[in-house]
Amino acid sequence: MEASVMEPLVSALLMGERAEALAAARQLLAADISRERIITEGIEPAMTSLDEKCTIEQFNLLEIMLVGRALNAVVDLLYPEGTSPPATRGTVAVASLKGDIHDIGKKIVIIVLKANGYHVIDCGKDCPVDRLVNTAAGEGAMAVLVSGLITSVIPQIRQLKDALREKGCSHVKVMAGGAALKQATTDDLQVDYVAQTAFDGLHFLRALS
Amino acid sequence: MNSLERIKAAIRFRDTDRPPVIPQIFGHAALFCDVPLLDYLRQGAILAACQLKAQNHYGHDALFAFMDACVESEALGSTLTFPADQYPDIGNYAFNRETDLQALEIPDPHRAGRMPELLKAITILREQAQDDLPIVGCVLGPMTLSGQLLSLETALYLAIDETERFESLLDFCSQVAISFGIAQIRAGAHLPLIFEPAACPEVIPKQFFRELIAPRLKRIFTALKTAGSLANWLHIAGQTETILPFYPEMGVDIANFDYCVQPQTAQDLLPDTCLDGNLRPYGFVRGEPEAIRAETSALLEQFRGRGGFILSSGCEIPLEARPENIAAMVECTRRRG
Repeated sequence: MEASVMEPLVSALLMGERAEALAAARQLLAADISRERIITEGIEPAMTSLDEKCTIEQFNLLEIMLVGRALNAVVDLLYPEGTSPPATRGTVAVASLKGDIHDIGKKIVIIVLKANGYHVIDCGKDCPVDRLVNTAAGEGAMAVLVSGLITSVIPQIRQLKDALREKGCSHVKVMAGGAALKQATTDDLQVDYVAQTAFDGLHFLRALS
Repeated sequence: MNSLERIKAAIRFRDTDRPPVIPQIFGHAALFCDVPLLDYLRQGAILAACQLKAQNHYGHDALFAFMDACVESEALGSTLTFPADQYPDIGNYAFNRETDLQALEIPDPHRAGRMPELLKAITILREQAQDDLPIVGCVLGPMTLSGQLLSLETALYLAIDETERFESLLDFCSQVAISFGIAQIRAGAHLPLIFEPAACPEVIPKQFFRELIAPRLKRIFTALKTAGSLANWLHIAGQTETILPFYPEMGVDIANFDYCVQPQTAQDLLPDTCLDGNLRPYGFVRGEPEAIRAETSALLEQFRGRGGFILSSGCEIPLEARPENIAAMVECTRRRG
C-alpha cells in the first residue's frame, strides 16, 4: 500500500477532523481496501505520529480528544455495532478508584490504548478495588490501569498488587497515572509503573509484550 | 511587618522582613480541625473558624475563603453530590449544548447556592484578621467554569464545533466571575484569586489560551482591580511555561507556578511578576518534615534577592496532608527572617 493512499485519513485523524476522517475511510473502503489494513496502515501510523508529537511538554487534552473522537467515528464505521476490531496486543482493565469521580484522563488512556490494538475494559469511575481486580482476573488482563486526580485514592492503589496476588494474578502489572498520581513514585504507590501521560503508559505496556 | 504588609511588599519587589509563605490550605483546614469537610464546605462560619485555627497553628501569611470548584456551577443550577471527606462532584450539569445562552442570568452572590455562605466566611475572616492577614477569596476562571457547567469534555467539543457559542459561554462565565469577585471584595476580601486549572496547556493549546482565555482573564482582572482588589492572583497549575509570557499583558500581579515548572524558568519568563510556588503538593502527604525543610531551603535560595516571591505549594495542599509537613515548610521560611 502506498502511503499516499492513506495520507488523507492519517492527516484528518491527526487534525481531529471527524467528518474528513470518515470521508477518507469511506473512500478507502470503496476502493476495496480491507478494514484491517485501514487500521494497521492508517490508524496506527496516525497514532504513532501523535505519540511522537505528544511529549510531556506538548501534551494537551483537547487535541487528543479531537483525535479520539475522529478515531472512534472511523472505528465505528469500520466495525459497526456487534463486530469489534482485532485486539492483538492484550487486554487491560482501566478504572478510576472509589471516591474518584474524574474520568477524562481515563477516557484518554482508553482512546490511546484501543487505537494501538489493546482490548480495553473500562471499569468506570468510583470503582471499588475488588471489582477492578475481579475484572482483570476474569478477563485475563495483562495489566490494570488506574487514573487518579485526587491523592486520597492512594491507599486503594497500594492494595492492588496484593489483591491481584490473592487472585493468582501476580503477573498482572499495575500502572497508575493522572494529575495526582504522577507526582508519586512506584514505591509510594506500590505499583509497577507511574505514567506521566497516556502515551508514556502505552510505551510501558508495549515494553511488556 | 504583618502578613498583609509582607505580601504587598513582595508583589512590589520590595524588601520584606522575611519571605512570605502561603501553603495553599483550603479543605485541609477542616480535617486539621477535625471538622467534617461537608460542614466546612457548606457553612461560612465553620470555614472561617477552621481557617483561623489552622493559620494560628501554622503561622502562614494568608487566609483562604475557598470552598470548592463547584460553588458557581451549583449557584447556576448544577446538582452536586458530597462524598464523605471529599470535595463535591457534579451529578447533573446545569447546562447542555442546547442551553439558550442569551437567556442566562448572572447568579446573585447574596442568594444563589453557597455563594452567600462564602461571603459570610469572608466577612468573618476580615472582622477577625482586620488588615493583619490578606483575606483571599476565589472565583473560577471562564474556562474552568464553562467545564463545570457543561462537563469539561462537552465544553471542549463545543469550543471546536461551535466556537461562537463557546465564546458566548466564556463571556457569561467571565461576568459570573466579575460579579462574584466584586461581591467578595465588598464582603471584605483583599483579593479574589482566580482559579483556572482547566486553562492549563495540558488541557488546551497555547493558542487557544491566548485567543480565547487571556482576553477574558484580563477583563476580569481589570474589573476586580477597579473594584478594589489588592492584586491580581492567577492560579493555573501544571505545565504552564508556554502561557506564562502572556501573564503581564493580562495584568497578573501574582503568578502561581506548579512543581513541574523550574523556578529559574518561571523567573526568566516573568522577570517583573511576583511568583508563588512551587513545592510538590504530594510531598505534604507522603514526605517527611526534613525533606520539606530541605526543599523549602533550596527554593528560598533560588529566589534569594529577587523580592517578588511567595513561598508556596505548587497547587492545593492535599486534604490528607501531614500537618507536621506544613509546619516544617512555614517554620523553615519564617526562620529566614
